Amino acid sequence: MKSTVMKKTMYFFAVPALLFYLTFWIFPITKLFQYSVTDYNGFAQTFNYIGFDNYRALFNGGTLGNSISNTLVYTVVSVVAGNLIGLALALLLNMKIRGKGFYRSISYIPTLFSAIVVGFIWSYVYMPDSGMIATFLDKLGIPNDNLNFLGSYSSALYSIIFVEIWKNVGTTMIIFLAGLQTVPNDLLEAGRIDGCGGWKLLRYVKLPLLATSITINTTLSLINGLKAFDFPFIMTNGGPGTSTNTLIYSIYKMAFTEQMFGKASALGIISFILIIAVTAVSVLLMNRKEVSA
Amino acid sequence: MNSGTTAGKMLQPEPALKTRKPFNAGALLKKTLLQLLVIVIMALNLIPLVIVLSTSLRSPDNNTNPLNLFNELSFASYRTAFERMHFGTALLNSVVLTAISVLLVVVFAAMASYPMARIKSRWSQFLYLFFLAGLVVPGQMVLIPIVQMINSLGIPSTQYTPILMFVTCSLPFSTFLYTGFIRSGVPEEVEEAAHIDGAGLFRRFWTVVFPLLIPVTVSVIITQGIWIWNDYFFNMTFISKSSQSPLPLAMLGFMGDQQNPTQWNVLFAACMLCALPLLIAFSFLQKYFVGGLTVGSVKG
Repeated sequence: MKSTVMKKTMYFFAVPALLFYLTFWIFPITKLFQYSVTDYNGFAQTFNYIGFDNYRALFNGGTLGNSISNTLVYTVVSVVAGNLIGLALALLLNMKIRGKGFYRSISYIPTLFSAIVVGFIWSYVYMPDSGMIATFLDKLGIPNDNLNFLGSYSSALYSIIFVEIWKNVGTTMIIFLAGLQTVPNDLLEAGRIDGCGGWKLLRYVKLPLLATSITINTTLSLINGLKAFDFPFIMTNGGPGTSTNTLIYSIYKMAFTEQMFGKASALGIISFILIIAVTAVSVLLMNRKEVSA
Repeated sequence: MNSGTTAGKMLQPEPALKTRKPFNAGALLKKTLLQLLVIVIMALNLIPLVIVLSTSLRSPDNNTNPLNLFNELSFASYRTAFERMHFGTALLNSVVLTAISVLLVVVFAAMASYPMARIKSRWSQFLYLFFLAGLVVPGQMVLIPIVQMINSLGIPSTQYTPILMFVTCSLPFSTFLYTGFIRSGVPEEVEEAAHIDGAGLFRRFWTVVFPLLIPVTVSVIITQGIWIWNDYFFNMTFISKSSQSPLPLAMLGFMGDQQNPTQWNVLFAACMLCALPLLIAFSFLQKYFVGGLTVGSVKG
């Protein structure tokens, strides 16, 4: 019965999507492997095969290590801080507070803004002398002449990570809030009767039941962080120096500014492997946690 | 289990659970503090946006401190920004681009997910993961081969070319949402009646299955619609004429102005104009925006 209802001809339904996906995504990706062993510059018709020279140059140069470490910092900080803040907001706005619906909507607003607009707004916020934070400190009488969020080597990366978190925390919060609605009330009641305080209720009742939400939020922000491009591109151009060069921004710069598409492809292949490995390992880890929780 | 909880109740005679005391200073204080905390957090969160709104409402030559909120109410900066970004055309371009892309995504992704959810074989599982894996690849990385592919197919670079990429890049997440939803939310039994009535696969999918997918379709429209609407990268690649630019691309024309305080009033007016359509949509369709985000996460 089943096999006559669910025929194999059903696979034809996947053809249009597959056609798009193979033509404009998978095939171009395979081309990257080819270009990564050439000296192709991105537009000339001819290029030479140069073996693994691109890879060798990358491993000997400073760009690879620098971009990987920037990307990992970007990812770890935005995943951990983004999820903690999102969870805290969700817990707060899940309590009996007047106007919580209104606050929930408000916290979602930044996610609606285009990355360009967000980049512009936060460039103003961070700007030395006349930016928002600087004028605030002026009003409070706090000296801030040395404060340059986007211009200093030590703070630029963290400043753009903060923008990333600000933009995405609304989504994280909404997903946690949805998860919190699935926590049965009688379970919380039972916990309270057994003498659990707020913290214990959170740790032993709510968090285990939020496992799915945590997995989803972590995976989404993990992929987001590993693919980070927008804010280095709009706000810092990778600078000062190379302090905000993420992997994807480095690839972009190498391909389009320095016109070394072969080398950029090699960096792309390395990033690709790194992104897949990190995502796969963390998804597997979380799945195991989720089952045991 | 039951006896355990009753025992706990007897050991700890705390009546505060259900009975409400007429006045409790401690609880009231706690509640007020909590309320204050929320207001402070929300204020911190939104200060940049409030300042942007207030500054955008000044005339272009009003260079007083942006922190003096709402010290002028003028639409002069909006008028300048409106003209500089060709707002009318840009808005129309954005609407057309997003609408066509989202429509195609819904049709393609829903159809592709049907066999992946219904057929239980190694092939269908592979297809599912194959689509999902595309999620981790950033577009910036493969841009040049993509452009070459589009050129070699003889597709001209018009204002509609980015649609190809919007549809393609939306497939991984959309098929993920649709497949999950069909697997857990649309029982096979609903199709059997149609099958017995002699309906073919195509009609069965569009008349029986697809109407049941409305919740996840809303979710796909919202999540993919927002990123497509806000994307500047693929637009930047294929569109060079300002008459063809959608809103985020029109914003790129203001690049550099954020370093120049004398341009802020107009820049921020442009920012508000760019965000306005989605903000209006959000205020009317809030429950779909919020619900759409969580369909995938609750169904798991």
